[in-house]
Amino acid sequence: MTNSASDAVTSSNPASLPVVKGESLMQDAWRRLLQNRATMISLMILAIIVLLSYLGPLLISADVDEIYWDYMGVGPTLEESLWFGTDYNGRDLFVRTLYGGQISLSVALVATAVSLIIGVAYGAISGYVGGRTDNLMMRLVDILYSLPFMFLVILMMVVFGRSIFLIYIAIGAVEWLDMARIVRGQTLALKRREFVDAAHALGVSDKMIVIRHIIPNAIGPVIVYVTLTVPKVILLESFLSFLGLGVQEPMTSWGVLISEGTGNMESAPWMLIFPAAFLAVTLFCLNFIGDGLRDALDPKTR
Amino acid sequence: MSTQPFVIEQSSAVKQNHQSQQPILEVDNLHVDFNLHTGTVSAVKGVSFNLHKGETLALVGESGSGKSVTSMSILQLLPNLVSHPKGQIRYDGLDLLRAEEKQLCRVRGDRIAMVFQEPMTSLNPLQTIEMQVAEVLIEHKAMTKQQAQPRVLELFELVGIPNPKARLKAYPHELSGGQRQRVMIAMALACEPDILIADEPTTALDVTIQAQIMELLKDLQDRFGMAILFITHDLGVVHHFADRVCVMRYGEIVEQGITTQVFNDPKHPYTRELLDSEPKGKKSAVSPSSPILLEAKDIRVEFPIRTGFFSRITDSVKAVNNISLKLREGQTLGIVGESGSGKSTLGKALLRLISSEGKIQFEDEAIDVKDMLEMRPLRRRMQVVFQDPFGSLSPRMTVAEVIAEGLKVHEPLFNARQRDQAVCQSLEEVDLDPALRNRYPHEFSGGQRQRIAIARAMVLKPKFLLLDEPTSALDRSVQVKVVELLRDLQKKHALTYLFISHDLAVVKALSDEVIVMQNGNVVEQGSAEQIFQNPKEIYTQQLLAAAFDLELVEEQPQLACV
Amino acid sequence: MFPYIIKRLLQSIPTLLIVITLSFFLMRLAPGGPFDGERKLPPEIEANLLAAYNMDQPLFMQFVDYLGGIAQGDFGPSFKYKDFSVSDLIWSGFPVSLELGMWAMLLAVILGVLIGCYAALHQNTRWDYLMMGGAMAGIAIPNFVMAPILTLVFGVYLSWLPVGGWNDGALSNKVLPILALALPQIAYIARMTRGSMIEVLGSHFIRTAKAKGLTATKVIQKHALKAALLPVVSYLGPATAGIITGSVVIEQIFGIPGIGRYFVQAALNRDYTLVMGTVVFYGGLIILFNLVVDIIYGLLDPQIRYEN
Repeated sequence: MTNSASDAVTSSNPASLPVVKGESLMQDAWRRLLQNRATMISLMILAIIVLLSYLGPLLISADVDEIYWDYMGVGPTLEESLWFGTDYNGRDLFVRTLYGGQISLSVALVATAVSLIIGVAYGAISGYVGGRTDNLMMRLVDILYSLPFMFLVILMMVVFGRSIFLIYIAIGAVEWLDMARIVRGQTLALKRREFVDAAHALGVSDKMIVIRHIIPNAIGPVIVYVTLTVPKVILLESFLSFLGLGVQEPMTSWGVLISEGTGNMESAPWMLIFPAAFLAVTLFCLNFIGDGLRDALDPKTR
Repeated sequence: MSTQPFVIEQSSAVKQNHQSQQPILEVDNLHVDFNLHTGTVSAVKGVSFNLHKGETLALVGESGSGKSVTSMSILQLLPNLVSHPKGQIRYDGLDLLRAEEKQLCRVRGDRIAMVFQEPMTSLNPLQTIEMQVAEVLIEHKAMTKQQAQPRVLELFELVGIPNPKARLKAYPHELSGGQRQRVMIAMALACEPDILIADEPTTALDVTIQAQIMELLKDLQDRFGMAILFITHDLGVVHHFADRVCVMRYGEIVEQGITTQVFNDPKHPYTRELLDSEPKGKKSAVSPSSPILLEAKDIRVEFPIRTGFFSRITDSVKAVNNISLKLREGQTLGIVGESGSGKSTLGKALLRLISSEGKIQFEDEAIDVKDMLEMRPLRRRMQVVFQDPFGSLSPRMTVAEVIAEGLKVHEPLFNARQRDQAVCQSLEEVDLDPALRNRYPHEFSGGQRQRIAIARAMVLKPKFLLLDEPTSALDRSVQVKVVELLRDLQKKHALTYLFISHDLAVVKALSDEVIVMQNGNVVEQGSAEQIFQNPKEIYTQQLLAAAFDLELVEEQPQLACV
Repeated sequence: MFPYIIKRLLQSIPTLLIVITLSFFLMRLAPGGPFDGERKLPPEIEANLLAAYNMDQPLFMQFVDYLGGIAQGDFGPSFKYKDFSVSDLIWSGFPVSLELGMWAMLLAVILGVLIGCYAALHQNTRWDYLMMGGAMAGIAIPNFVMAPILTLVFGVYLSWLPVGGWNDGALSNKVLPILALALPQIAYIARMTRGSMIEVLGSHFIRTAKAKGLTATKVIQKHALKAALLPVVSYLGPATAGIITGSVVIEQIFGIPGIGRYFVQAALNRDYTLVMGTVVFYGGLIILFNLVVDIIYGLLDPQIRYEN
């Protein structure tokens, strides 16, 4: 029998063999991500926005509806640290933008989490059980897909009143469909892979196969999709709020602020520009991060 | 390679003829670089060869040898990130490497045509096959679509597409792989080119189809007198088909010459290694008194076909139809068949990885009545190695984790150190360095991965191994070593193998008994010697002919004519 | 092909029924009666009102009546605009919304495909990065932000175009709303086209086409384009939904008398019948367009046609 050395010659990278520690696909993906400049810059900007939104109001200990009676509807000024100016009620726009960010971001996180939980459970069951169950479950998704969901959400808002809790549920319930499809596709594809067959042949239980083989391998596309769901949800929330159907006073969100800004854009353009810029930059960053993650995790580019 | 002598005379006579003429294609010191963002990789480093009118030149090499890159360079079909720092490809007074797009377009498809390896994806899925062939004529012969039609029909007849008139308006997905490859050939021949480049034209096809396509190419060459540049990894085909051969490795030609001379007297050690890479030897027989390990009676597997709005079961496919077999300890049973014959399904059914009907006895237990949970303790004695060394290892686990997974199920009392020890032992057993056990599968070559898959099975010390095409995805030279390994392991541990393969050479080298399957049925069953020396059924004879004696199938009638 | 169309038609009926059922029962779940205003109505007047709106019958009968009405194009009377039926309001706004939507869609497809193809054919050049950066911005900036910005720039500062209003559909009044409506879709379609074009250009059958001796232009025209546009065609369904949804805010921002504006007003005023009618109408429209898109897709891709 020839020894392993001669087999190693056929390996594409014999030079790298002496290194004993291996590099996992996750480490590999992480390394690619770090090399992606657009993604890293986006991550940094997003981190700043998130920190500002949650910590900023605490640090400057300002209130959302604190009124500066001497500064009603003034543009950005350094006096009283009104960097973004005030609205026509004399409220500090900088503080309101940060508070609005808190609401928009938390809606996004909660609603994405809702969609993630429903979607992953539904998709994984559908894909792993397969057969007729799968058929039925996916037909339901198909039907739900063709519903005009935006309008049903609005209908729900009209019927049940405008509560932030309802926004979480409604948006989460809309967004799980894509997640379910992605997870099901992954599960189906993985189920047919030979390493799952091999695990069956080793006597590994179904539960352990799902935990050890299906989930770790399906996680990449799910992470990417989650990253792309967050901006979608932020968009939906601000859309509803813009129309006056979402977050209500005294709470505020970027959508509400943009709506107020639009009404006053000729006389007080700063009321539109600052919240709009925060929203757009956040969405921009999230989309870039999603793209970067996809490139890093996509096995085709490997 | 038993019929070498008489082939020599036949083709060397033809050969002398060619050498005297001016070559029609000259590849001179060709270099090909891939400019990746991680750096430049040289895929081809100074390759030179000539092609003469009417001859067949074979470029032979294993994966990564640069043979396909060389062939793609001729018509400049490589992606943009490729550059040619040095060299020339001369055709008809033109250096193709530096020719303008317009000049290249005039050569492509008209003077030099190409047939690719991937028949399933090389045709446009959105166009009828008539249109795709007619397009060549419209482009180069200034025909209209109407004028082209009779010619297309003629070409389809020529390449042997059944009922060509009805097939004109067919789309590629309505044709089988073999038929699609025939359409590709029709397309390539449409303008009666001077040179046909065939890049592994039969690799993706079943052996019997392979033989037909090769026969067709040879026949067409005789008629049109074109030169063929034939790219392949399969020396058996080269030997029969090519006048001259260039052996490639790591982007260089290590040896070139007249086929028969290269085969009879290889100069370069790599050529010798390649020629030697046909698995050899025979399985030594097992004593007839050896106890029966696995016995199966009337195994049936059916897959339901669901159709209609509510996915009702309307029909079923009999993937495996009443197959019985018996395996003694230490024996190897080879199961042979083409894709879709049900051989893998049978294997999985015997291991109870899929449900089936019929009795299965393993050692002293009837296992067909056991459910998944009851099967679990038995699994350590019956293990499996799959075909695809890329797909059979989870990409997220280290080699140690992959191998230890079975131990966690079957040796729950092992502590981490004991498990690690067992993993190292089994890696040593398959000739891999245990120091590499913390690396991930994607860091290994195909052959090494297959060794890892074998180690995963062997760590449980099984008595019975199901080998489902374990060597089919590997290069020949790697294949031979894996076959050697399997043979050694069998001897050392008195293993019993069920060896599933479409590759008859490997089956011949490893098996005591053989079952030939087609469409879920047994065509022929018997000892290896009987099947390979004296096949009774026509299908078996065809399979054997396609695999071992291409020359016999096609050349005997020719010899008779001479 | 014909059985396929029939099958798709049949499949869209349950979807439409679900939309109607869902909106009907959601509305009836609303806490409090529809006429709960600031002051309590006398019981006899409330009874009269209920009878007028057909709400004194058992719930199921109301549902059947509603279904029957929809089948005849009747969505019942509006709660708030007392003199109009919901159908009147929808049909008065529809032509305006349709015109807006059609132009936006046309612009989105043409520009999106052109930009996407250009970027794909000049992959990794400065133009590619520029266009894809622009597309990313188009996706990231929602149209309710884009619309005010466009107005601010072209309406207020440059005074080239009117800031809002419909003015009986004068061209200058249409430009900004159409642009604002189309921009995100242009961005999506451009990104999608670029992605699929790059994938198709790397596929084996394109290599075959090149090997036939076709020029680069012909390879793209005759082989790559059709295959690359298939995903774009299947995106037209969601794109319609996106444009319809977008038109709701755009009509609001520019003060255009389309369905979207009625819809938002109705939602804010809790005009139940009008909201419900609009949801069902929009739902029907989206389902219909999905059907059309599926049929077009079936015509383009022979692999669907024969699948049944």
